[in-house]
Amino acid sequence: MKFLNFFAIATLFAFTISCTVDKTDFEAELNQDVTEYFEFEEAVSFNTNGYRISVEALNGTFFKGYNEIRLKIVNTQNNQLVSNSEITFLPIMTGLQDQTTSCPHRYNLIYNAEENYYSGYVVFTDESSSVNSWDVYIGFMSEGEQIFINQSVTVETQTNKNLNMTAFTGNDGETYFIALIAPQKPSVAENELVAGIYKYHQPTTPSGTFPDPSQFLYSEVNNYTLLLDPRMPEPSMGNHSSPNNVDLTQQLDGLYYGVVNYTMTGKWTLNFILLDKNGQIIKGTEVPTDFTPGLEGAKSELYIDILF
Amino acid sequence: MNRLTLLLLFTGVVGWTQNTPIQNDSTEVALDEVVLIAKTKKKIETEMKMAVSVDEFLASSDNISFIKRGAYAWEPLLNNMSTERSIITIDGMHVFGACTDKMDPITSYVESNNLASIEIKSGQEGGMQGSTVAGSINLKRKNTSFTNYKDWKGAYQSGFEFNNKQFFNLGNISYSSEKFVTEGSFSYRKAENYSDGNNDKVNHSQFRKFNSSLGLTYKTSDLSSLRVDAIFDQANDVGYPALPMDLWLSRALITSVAYKQLFEEGLVRVWDSKIYFNTIEHYMDDTTRPENLVHMDMPGWSTTYGLVSKINLKKDNYSSEIQLNAYNNLSIAEMRMYPQDRSERTMFAYSWPWVTTRYAGVSINNSFEVTEKTQLNFGGSLGLNYNHSKYVDFNWIFHPGVPQEKTRFLPSLYAGYTIDVNKFNFSVGSGYGHRAPSVSEGYGYYIYNSFDRYDYIGNPDLKNEISYEINASAGFKNEKISFQVKANYFHIQNYIIGRILSMGSPMNYQSVGVKGYTSLDYATLFNFSLNAKYDILEHLHWNGTLTYARGKDNKEGNLPFIRPLSYQTLLQYHYKDFGFQTSVNGDFEQIDYSPEYGEDKTPSYTVWNLSADYTFYLENFSTTFQVGAENLLNEYYSTYADWGNIPRMGRNIFTSIKFNF
Ligand SMILES: [Cu+2]
Repeated sequence: MKFLNFFAIATLFAFTISCTVDKTDFEAELNQDVTEYFEFEEAVSFNTNGYRISVEALNGTFFKGYNEIRLKIVNTQNNQLVSNSEITFLPIMTGLQDQTTSCPHRYNLIYNAEENYYSGYVVFTDESSSVNSWDVYIGFMSEGEQIFINQSVTVETQTNKNLNMTAFTGNDGETYFIALIAPQKPSVAENELVAGIYKYHQPTTPSGTFPDPSQFLYSEVNNYTLLLDPRMPEPSMGNHSSPNNVDLTQQLDGLYYGVVNYTMTGKWTLNFILLDKNGQIIKGTEVPTDFTPGLEGAKSELYIDILF
Repeated sequence: MNRLTLLLLFTGVVGWTQNTPIQNDSTEVALDEVVLIAKTKKKIETEMKMAVSVDEFLASSDNISFIKRGAYAWEPLLNNMSTERSIITIDGMHVFGACTDKMDPITSYVESNNLASIEIKSGQEGGMQGSTVAGSINLKRKNTSFTNYKDWKGAYQSGFEFNNKQFFNLGNISYSSEKFVTEGSFSYRKAENYSDGNNDKVNHSQFRKFNSSLGLTYKTSDLSSLRVDAIFDQANDVGYPALPMDLWLSRALITSVAYKQLFEEGLVRVWDSKIYFNTIEHYMDDTTRPENLVHMDMPGWSTTYGLVSKINLKKDNYSSEIQLNAYNNLSIAEMRMYPQDRSERTMFAYSWPWVTTRYAGVSINNSFEVTEKTQLNFGGSLGLNYNHSKYVDFNWIFHPGVPQEKTRFLPSLYAGYTIDVNKFNFSVGSGYGHRAPSVSEGYGYYIYNSFDRYDYIGNPDLKNEISYEINASAGFKNEKISFQVKANYFHIQNYIIGRILSMGSPMNYQSVGVKGYTSLDYATLFNFSLNAKYDILEHLHWNGTLTYARGKDNKEGNLPFIRPLSYQTLLQYHYKDFGFQTSVNGDFEQIDYSPEYGEDKTPSYTVWNLSADYTFYLENFSTTFQVGAENLLNEYYSTYADWGNIPRMGRNIFTSIKFNF
């Protein structure tokens, strides 16, 4: 009798202790649609004139959008890393009818003495496809001789929507680019939002021998402000927004930093208004704050969609 | 003390047996020495109805009112204060609901046939179980006494309520011997939608509840015993007509092991310790509401383990009770919204981001008989309350940088003096106490409140709510007439309530905005009740109750859910084995309502009830049959505390039969 009772309790206990519905694994939830890239790996390498040039990118892949790159040059004769050289980097896309364009990039790479690489970035504006192909043109000095080489590279689709980019023509007629850099893996939290903002400069001189860098001039825009208004576009969310967001302003590294709060996982639209240094609107419109359940959220003229 | 008294004392608070429903008096002689001023409701039935739910039973108490979201799991308000401000325990065990929408007050996890009594203490006197403002409600489990011979006892109760086709079966059985007691109960209730006073069905008001309990007590020595106890409760397919969601499944397992030691001599008389564990899972369901724009999953879990240990001291005219409470609770609630295009990513957030609450406190309750006619009660407690939010990022969205952990000291003090003068009795008392914010108030995240239609955000940095309380009562009693007037007044500093936030936007599509829990400078609450009894004839009894309450915030605005002037009057007549009862109860118009918190003016209503019962022997079973009607005139009404003004039940004819063996 007593044993039976205890047995009954024990069974009941085991039965109930295991929940009917499993709790959500929050980490897994955040990883669901997000691939995070931590490691710089070789994306492409090639040999020329007794040098081996290797370009590293996160995950060893070039993606559409912002890519930080690390370039290393090894003298294959003595296996020594070439340090403190002047290295130029120019990405070129060949499209329909052999039209060539470039994208925001750092032309003169910066030497990092500590780790012996040359640092730069490139914001690929398109994936490689049957129509578009990308080449990188690298120039450096070897024993007083300027060497130019080019190498075709593959640009993959960025599956992580938190690293999306947009290109647009501003109210001033200029072409601008905004590329998201961080967070790679947002959370339901305050997230530091980092973006690069770039501008294309129309060539002022006639084209020299291809590839003439003066025809492919891009720069970071300085002292602009990127006003931020995140919303959930999903109709059932009725234009839901979040509090305590901070507009993006430029920091010393040239990038733009702000804070975005995501109140839940899912699809978000980062609505922007880009202001130049004088506070003039370059692009973007105010989004109404009305709560509109059932309707797809209104978007600014200038926005980037993310998903996590 | 002789052996028998000790035995009775030993076996607990109530020597409950079925064929003599109130055996309390015999045991209380002994128990009065150790149990102090407990205003205990003695039997789980009301004058009108013998087969009641726990809620219906609680409703018969003066200082309890209810927020009702349907026919099931009413939220008890003690002294017109919501459950955050009171402490609800089961045999001293802390249990916390797993629903962010308050679908599951603790009272929904027990059943009338596994309880012996419900102990309600008002204000700081209720501080024995932990920190409180409003008081405490302790649901006491049945506890069968040891017997010198082997004894089987049991009861079986069944009934049908016509309005919502509620069919219920309640059974309990106990076996007792000199060394060992085992008792168990089961119950099953199933109800369909009820109809209101216009004979319209109130959709989504059905419920199904299964409850069972098991207790084993073993006498480890002449003066000590060990008890293992478990309650299992499961509710399925419960509708909440006032809410935008229903309940698919809710389950609770409430377990404990208790050791009790008595002492024949000396200052310490009883030492009673218990360790406990309980776990609740709660899954809401909105698939029953196709009109909802968004499909959501909202599961919740609450797991608590703890310790209660108390000793009773007695020396001459002084007695004292010292209690140690410690518990750890983890509350988790999730919400997952499904986009209209189901192939797209779902949206996820925690409405309780894994919030841990740890509490440890010591309470003391002293009673000193100054003279035979006067008594001084005083006591207090000191508690340490610790909170931790695992996913504190959620809290940081509205409160950037608040600490992930928070520790609070919760002191309380009270004193009361009672005096008997001839047939009159008087009492005055005063109290002071802190309480910590609840999980929702501190850490809740976009919890939709369908009453005022706001999403609520908790604030981890809320100050302790501090209550200053005075109370007084006066009564008179002679052979035929008795009356009792009671009043209390609370001044509550840092009163926690939701206020519209200027930032953020609603997450739930029905919502109109976001409210954050904030502290008002203060709020005040006044409760008054008048209770009178008159034995008109030997078998004809009358009693009546009048209650009034008023709650105001610091700007003289009204607080929500304050009961308007209300009354109840009851006439009882016994003739041989027959009993007849009739009662009228109602509220006056709610004048002092609070539009700011979503209230509108609620008109007055009156409800008339009638019942008759007959007790007889069927074979050897003492059997009682009862038939009656609630809301006989089929009045269409809803009360001030009916969530979303859902109408109450119309005319309900009920029948029940009970066998004791
Ligand atoms: Cu619920």
